[in-house]
Amino acid sequence: MKNLLLYSLTAFVFSSVLWIIWSFFTVQSEILPNWIGSLVYLPHAARVLMVVYFGWKAIPGLYLAELWGPLFVAQEAYNIPIMLPSMISVMSVPAALYSLKLFGFPLGTTLKSPLNKRNYKHIGLITMISAFFNALLVNYCLNQMHVNFEPKTGMLIEADINQVLRFFIGDMLGVFIVFIFLAIFLKPVLGNSQSKL
Amino acid sequence: MKEFYQNISDALNMLYGLEKDLNIGHFTPNELKVFYTIIVRSAYNKEGSNITEIVEHSGMSRSTVYKTLKKLSTEGIINLAQSEDDGRESLVLLNSVS
Repeated sequence: MKNLLLYSLTAFVFSSVLWIIWSFFTVQSEILPNWIGSLVYLPHAARVLMVVYFGWKAIPGLYLAELWGPLFVAQEAYNIPIMLPSMISVMSVPAALYSLKLFGFPLGTTLKSPLNKRNYKHIGLITMISAFFNALLVNYCLNQMHVNFEPKTGMLIEADINQVLRFFIGDMLGVFIVFIFLAIFLKPVLGNSQSKL
Repeated sequence: MKEFYQNISDALNMLYGLEKDLNIGHFTPNELKVFYTIIVRSAYNKEGSNITEIVEHSGMSRSTVYKTLKKLSTEGIINLAQSEDDGRESLVLLNSVS
């Protein structure tokens, strides 16, 4: 239970910031159309980063941000029960890590670890698997709950393979953009952190 | 707290590896904006975006976009290919990180 509050709070703040930035670019400025199944979904980066580096302790904060983000950003657009889809989205990263562990790739920090959390390519693999789980399970859940509405007309539609693909690509691209931004923004710190190890 | 800093340090190490391989830390904000636009457009056009689209969506001038594309292409981050539909148009494709 040590540091649970610290990890959870960090996850909540980081995820919330990404929600706000994403909402600005998608919902408010309408730069990226069709924001349900956005093709650049930034908040997935928070799920991946926080769960990979902070573990299960980040999950309460992430889940709160997943509930708070949509309600704050576009309450009318998210006029659906989001408790279960949000939980599935958050749990997609632990599910990816668990699947990899089952196949003999546990997460570690050394060069000998089959899955090294210091290697961005390995984080990319976790991102890909979690995006796959998220896309598949959330859309299945939306279909089962009969709450998959077309954003412009408000009509109930079936989540099809296109929507699943949009979720998958959106999560992948969102993570890619956040990582690049962080890598550039934190460049002065990155050199120092490397030299100290 | 030590564990927290260790985890942050691991995350920074991961980002350091990405920055080192992509080698984009020396880009100006305008160049980065063009680069981000290329990434976002790649989601919409898997066969590559044309330069006019990148100019429109980045909000940068045509000359800035051209200069940035040349720089990105020289550094192997993107690939410029001729459009099959219109020979006068170049398509911009993201190279994968090796």
